[in-house]
Amino acid sequence: MEEQVELAGPPGPGPAAVLSVPGAVRAGWKDGGAVRAGWKDGGAVTALPGRGGVRPDLEMVFRGAYPRVVGVAARVLGSRDEAEDVAQEVFLTFGRSSVPAAEATGWLSVAAAHTALNHLRSGRRRVAREEFAGDADAVAGDVADAVVTLDERRRVRAALARLPRKQAVALVLRHSGLSYAEVAAALDLSPGSVGTTVRRAESALRKELNRHASSD
Amino acid sequence: MRHPTDGIVRRLVDDPAGVSQADREHVAGCPACLAGLAAAREDAALMTAALAWENPAITDAAPGTGAAPDVDRGWARLSQALDAGEHPGQASAGERPGRASVGERAAYPDRRRWRAALRSPVVAVAGVVALLAGAGAAAATDWLPIFRAEQITPVTAPEADLVKLPELSAFGRLDVTERVSVRRVSGPAAAEEAAGLTIPRVTELPRGVSGEPEYHVANRATAVFTYEAETAARTAAAAGESLPPPPARLDGSRFRLVAGPGVAAVWSAGRPVPAMVVGRLVAPKAYSEGIPFATARDYLLSLPILPPNVASQLRAFSGDGTTLPLFMSVEHLTSRQADVNGTPATVLASRDGVMAAVVWVNDGVVTAVAGSLSGDEVLTVARGLRWHR
Repeated sequence: MEEQVELAGPPGPGPAAVLSVPGAVRAGWKDGGAVRAGWKDGGAVTALPGRGGVRPDLEMVFRGAYPRVVGVAARVLGSRDEAEDVAQEVFLTFGRSSVPAAEATGWLSVAAAHTALNHLRSGRRRVAREEFAGDADAVAGDVADAVVTLDERRRVRAALARLPRKQAVALVLRHSGLSYAEVAAALDLSPGSVGTTVRRAESALRKELNRHASSD
Repeated sequence: MRHPTDGIVRRLVDDPAGVSQADREHVAGCPACLAGLAAAREDAALMTAALAWENPAITDAAPGTGAAPDVDRGWARLSQALDAGEHPGQASAGERPGRASVGERAAYPDRRRWRAALRSPVVAVAGVVALLAGAGAAAATDWLPIFRAEQITPVTAPEADLVKLPELSAFGRLDVTERVSVRRVSGPAAAEEAAGLTIPRVTELPRGVSGEPEYHVANRATAVFTYEAETAARTAAAAGESLPPPPARLDGSRFRLVAGPGVAAVWSAGRPVPAMVVGRLVAPKAYSEGIPFATARDYLLSLPILPPNVASQLRAFSGDGTTLPLFMSVEHLTSRQADVNGTPATVLASRDGVMAAVVWVNDGVVTAVAGSLSGDEVLTVARGLRWHR
């Protein structure tokens, strides 16, 4: 599978990042040569002074966007606990950023997806997640869910981490309830190409499942 | 009429209102497109199920729709982290009180500490400064602090061994006298003035890096370490080892560690993910109050609680205390030697090829170029740096 993931280090790269175990990496992706981290290059950057350099609108944004940010990360990780960790990390970054408030939700969603995908890639997982996922499987009444076994979920998530980053993020954002227009804006995609990107991701993941099913 | 694209067909699955009337009508009357729509619908449903997330709190909730996360609790946690001055990367180091991670903490204290250290707050702003400043950046860099860094040499070991490296506090008391503090400044002139270091200009940005950098300055960090034979013995006993007697005067002797100030230019264009960093730092130095570097080093390297392969690499360093070890895990990183306009340099690259850094020491200053680039790209940037404005 083509690997387009591009790491730009932990929320700050540099030798410390390079030296570290890969736990701390966050990824962007390469898109036609331009590195974009789910954010538009050259976005307006203005200083937002506040408590210890924290932006003053943080609480308002947090209260509005927290459930969505947790949801995005949880779809990648399958674990609410881990997703909440990711959300904390993302909001800490956001709190010290100057991302325009109007673009906060898109930014946070993309950052949550990246951070969660990096957790997946680095294998920084909690054992508890699998246990919880097992419980969820046991109680799920949904037919589709019964079709997707725990093992399949695990495989889908592993495959998700290997997808070209933009596909993986688009898929997760759409399945987390962002509209086509929101996904397009957050990922700098043309609105018409969101469906194509999501479809490719779904198709690749389905193939991954089939490949394993046929080799079982 | 030509068939709508796969993307349009996919959109029919969950947002038909976003598809044009003409396309909808085409699909409705086209067996091939209907088949494509059915497949898209099936895949979408499968992914919805596969990406569902568990909700341990409410077991009868349909996956993916569980109770909304507790916003108040989340906000309380974030506020606490902000008040504590945490930066991204710290919050999730397993510090949530009252969660299952307590068991994990008890079982793997060293691992947890190691990870927490690697995700130190300073990394968030200027990793270059963080690591090389040593103060809290990584347990490993606290080793052999009794020196002035004139060169950098990678020490490679399996991650499992690096995790085992004890921190200085396992051997005595570490009092941080000047804490690392990183702040953003308005521009290169302000950064240079604050740090007293020249920031080189990047003549040509690599592909994928754009915009103007942000500048960050770290103050000088200092700490005093006091070797305590009793603490060291306790650490060893906990690892099931006993230590050889320390050399005369080591017990109670003090070492002063100094690093910085430093500066970093960070290209991130408003994203959480910097694409490139150019950083400089006054190289770490250490001063011993009593015993010579070699005596302390030889003793520390003889201790049975150090992984043997790490100890032997450190032992191979020159005895005059001028080599800064860069600890790296063989699983994730490769290193090679290069030169930057005549100065020996070390190029580090992640094995998955997604990031790289080049580090060198010149006239007592460590300089690094790092980012989501290839080894060749960071070298090109490093060699093209302009030192005069």
